[in-house]
Amino acid sequence: MRGLSGTISEHRYEGIGACQGVAIGPAFVVDDPRGRIVRMFIPKHQVEAEIKRFREAVRLAQRQVRKAMARFREAFSSDRAYILEAHLMMLRDRNLGRQIEDSIRDNRVNAEWAVRDTAGRLLSIYAKITDDYLRERGSDVADVAHRLVKILSGAEARDLSELAENSIIVADDLLPSVAADLDPRRVLGFVTAAGGWASHTSIIARSVNIPAVVGVRNVTGRVRSGETVIIDGTTGAIMVSPLPETLRFYVELRERQQEQQLHYIEERDLPAVTRDGREVKLRANIELIEEIETLQRFNAAGVGLYRSEFLYSQAASGLPAEDEQYEAYKCLADTCGESGAVVRTFDLGGDKLGLEGFKPERNPALGLRAIRLSLAVDGVFRTQVRAILRAGLHPDGRSRLKILLPFVSNLDEVRRAKEIIAEVERDLRAQEIGHAEDVEIGVMVETPAAVIMAESLAREADFFSLGTNDLTQSMLAVDRGNENVDKMFDPMHPAVLRAIKYVADSAMKINIPINVCGEMASNPAQVIMLLGLGLTDLSMMPSAIPAIRRLVRSIRLEDAEKLATHALTLETPADTHRYVQTHLSELGSQFFATAHFG
Amino acid sequence: MQRFTLDITNRLGLHARAAAKLVKLANSFRCDVMLARVESSADRGAPGACGHGQTGPVDAKNIFGILLLAAPQGALVEVITEGADEVEAMEAVRKLIEDKFGED
Repeated sequence: MRGLSGTISEHRYEGIGACQGVAIGPAFVVDDPRGRIVRMFIPKHQVEAEIKRFREAVRLAQRQVRKAMARFREAFSSDRAYILEAHLMMLRDRNLGRQIEDSIRDNRVNAEWAVRDTAGRLLSIYAKITDDYLRERGSDVADVAHRLVKILSGAEARDLSELAENSIIVADDLLPSVAADLDPRRVLGFVTAAGGWASHTSIIARSVNIPAVVGVRNVTGRVRSGETVIIDGTTGAIMVSPLPETLRFYVELRERQQEQQLHYIEERDLPAVTRDGREVKLRANIELIEEIETLQRFNAAGVGLYRSEFLYSQAASGLPAEDEQYEAYKCLADTCGESGAVVRTFDLGGDKLGLEGFKPERNPALGLRAIRLSLAVDGVFRTQVRAILRAGLHPDGRSRLKILLPFVSNLDEVRRAKEIIAEVERDLRAQEIGHAEDVEIGVMVETPAAVIMAESLAREADFFSLGTNDLTQSMLAVDRGNENVDKMFDPMHPAVLRAIKYVADSAMKINIPINVCGEMASNPAQVIMLLGLGLTDLSMMPSAIPAIRRLVRSIRLEDAEKLATHALTLETPADTHRYVQTHLSELGSQFFATAHFG
Repeated sequence: MQRFTLDITNRLGLHARAAAKLVKLANSFRCDVMLARVESSADRGAPGACGHGQTGPVDAKNIFGILLLAAPQGALVEVITEGADEVEAMEAVRKLIEDKFGED
């Protein structure tokens, strides 16, 4: 796109949406002074002055860190401030200070150079450390050196805690210390070059609910401070120097979203009940323990799916140890409330674990993964179950945690898993270690085999969870990551709908609860279909809850049932879509007239 | 002078948070507090590589010394205290390490 004058032109870049919402404002590019330090010769009579300048910088850095610690505790109400405590001690470290001062004196160099040089030598010692976790702590050294250099080179005039106006922060990566320097009230949004959905920036953005886009390559080289930037945290796009019509579009979108947010806040505590009086459970799917904070914000009925394998990606090395898992599950159990939390055991493939003798798989989706892997590798499942049972213990005697077995394709897998769980319980009892008894064990229905065997599985399981993403893929034999066929991925395909219906009926016949935790549960049209098929327990990403709450309150279950009953007679996906589209507006008229989908 | 050798048992070893606690504690005593690494099972299996930055003894009142010992879980460390309140200091440091720095 080219502007009228020829000099104004809009640029659009794609990244990963890390926190939903639109933000518009001037960019504030966080400067990275790495690589821009010049070595200067200091004449002898100025050496003491240079050392004094260094000491003042250290004092200012200490003040900044103390301030950041206070702000961090206030804004994030967690103990993540410990990183900063270590930084403070590094700044107070007498040896480090002496080494830098010696370097200034002996080499007659400027303080910036001495700091960088000394830190570099420290880092090279760090690089030799064999323990992954401890070696990684070298980043704290780099972070502290960065702060000192920033102060010495005069960049402290642009202290992030004193942003003059509300801005969009643009950075290569947000170091924890830099993020902590930010005043959340002045930050409109974040854009970073580094990071994915689970990166530090993403977690912070979601915990303070500020729109964020991460993974935009070379973004600091493409945006200048002061330029107008639009970020769309829902789609992961950023627009630099937008054209007037783009700006207008996003200003309106932001207004609608803000208005909707206000409605959602008002509706937060309204019961999720259909107009004809049927209660629907709205639960949260979470991947990171930090996301637990969103349960309250969206008033979720507990956690319907905790994807425990994300613990693996966060672990220092290999599978997390029992105690590390226990910490995470305990936090989950303590904060999920009476509705409890469902812990899905690791849904990992053998490739991730670097198992000895594990042969690479040509088709890992159908390979040694999830419950198959957990049962095949001695100790993996046992360790996880021990941690869950220990953490589930609640004073009222009922376990706050439930166990969910992923990718079940054989009844024996469920039986074997239950045997192991019973053994772990016996061990814990014998060792007199506190643990929950009678933890409910659920089966994830996501393979055609599990669908066909639903009745038998229902007799063995305490509850079902329908994983509609994997179920749709395996029912239709379509890989939705394959762009040649991804359009064939369709949860409204009659085969999928009939499979869901059969599973729901089987659960009802044997009288066990059933929950839906796939993406269907957050898509309004598909939710109506699910409700009509008899599924009234839905788990979704937390930010989808307000819209689904409003949808539930705007429809009659009776109408949804009629829609689903007729849909089950249709024979092609196209017929289903046509039918649903024509009836949707009459069904949820209130909802579809007011809701906006970003 | 007091000397005592013990295992680092917390899972993450002497990482930043644990080191910060140790430094804070050491600074609350008047005596010198030193820490050194002793050859242990954690060092084996890495022939040729030293596996850690320094072996010490390092001043436990300064965080870098401690961090660069890079003592992971299973490492053996010797605590040395010397000065007026060396007995109390040894007792406190021992307790902190044995309590896994209040972590696990």
